[in-house]
Amino acid sequence: MTRIHDMGGRLGEGKISKEDENVKFKSKWEEEVFSLTIAMGFSGLWNLDASRFAREALEPVDYLRFSYFEKWLAALINLLNENEVISATKEKNSAWFKKFRKLEAKNVSSLLERGSPTLREGIKKNKFEIGEKVKIKNFHGNEKVSGGHTRLPNYVKGRTGRIIYYHGTHVFPDSHAHFLGENPEPLYSIEFVNQELWGKHYPFSEDTVIVDIWENYICEKI
Amino acid sequence: MEKKNNKYHNSFPLDPEARVKALKTILETKGLVEQEALDEILDTYQNKVGPINGAKLIAKAWIDSSFKNDLLEQTEKVLTELNLSGRQGEHVTVVENTSEIHNLVVCTLCSCYPWPLLGLPPSWYKSDAYRSRAVREPRKVLEEFNLLIPNSKKVRVWDSTSEMRYLVLPQQPEDSIGLSEDELVNWVTRDCMIGAGIPKRPGKFND
Repeated sequence: MTRIHDMGGRLGEGKISKEDENVKFKSKWEEEVFSLTIAMGFSGLWNLDASRFAREALEPVDYLRFSYFEKWLAALINLLNENEVISATKEKNSAWFKKFRKLEAKNVSSLLERGSPTLREGIKKNKFEIGEKVKIKNFHGNEKVSGGHTRLPNYVKGRTGRIIYYHGTHVFPDSHAHFLGENPEPLYSIEFVNQELWGKHYPFSEDTVIVDIWENYICEKI
Repeated sequence: MEKKNNKYHNSFPLDPEARVKALKTILETKGLVEQEALDEILDTYQNKVGPINGAKLIAKAWIDSSFKNDLLEQTEKVLTELNLSGRQGEHVTVVENTSEIHNLVVCTLCSCYPWPLLGLPPSWYKSDAYRSRAVREPRKVLEEFNLLIPNSKKVRVWDSTSEMRYLVLPQQPEDSIGLSEDELVNWVTRDCMIGAGIPKRPGKFND
């Protein structure tokens, strides 16, 4: 039950290419896709989690063959279509136009400086404490929306790790991406020993991977 | 065409240049975007934010232990005061490299990266190969960046799955001790703040 974007630990990939590593945009259209995506992200029609879901929900063959900004473009088109932005007219959809927040140049710097913090303090008491060992649910996927968005990587499913940070309660992407509310959940950084994730043949027993995990993804204390 | 059971259909022919042009025209005609705002966004990420922001923090942390302590313990307060907070850097944790631990940052699910501190990510950070391999074989990945981690050191890889962003505080090289903050800034490369490099004497290529 994973989507193609969930790549952590996937086998068979080759060497890391440093080609064009400092080229931010390879062409004018990439610049335009980037700036349009950021601008429309402020429209209020969708949120960052929905935008991530639009990219990861591309068909696997497209996800792999599209370049980075082709994925952004495909996702932007899908988000605009889903929200009927392309077909909307002022006459037919006046309510829709009222809802739309157009990004104005004078607000760009302050909006980018503010960003979209996801910490929502005092919402829920954390069940687990730093130092405790916990097991991740042996279920990978969105519990409310079939095939929906999740930020739990498949490679930690059912694995046990130790909590090393508690970050407070944060917006829960599995809910937020589908406009089901923010439903903030306690967020932890959990450290997994590599041999627990990849097997005993991993040669360095001390090496670890740390994954940010919402409480909802945790099964139980060990 | 065969109907696929997927919310999104993406088998449209891809001529991105023409598609973006058409898309932009539609949005402009409807009055939903303004060119000046798009220009401002691009200018921010092409010219205003970049690894120099992170490098200044690291250099200051090297020479000022009380600042270093605040940067590690009260990161968001420090970044807000220095006006280094913002989109894709709303929440930040700084992780310190020591003689026992080497830290490396990845985003296996997409390409999360601390934009206000490092700018937009390098192409390799967004690549399938890096996203797949960094968690499973970090030492082999680091070797491809000419970084050989001694067996005695622990490697910790941070997978950026939430809105928390990670910045690596590299170890200060022995031969840079005594230099001024301004001089030290030039030793701090983008890659060493991701954990895929170590600080280098300026002018020396990453060989």
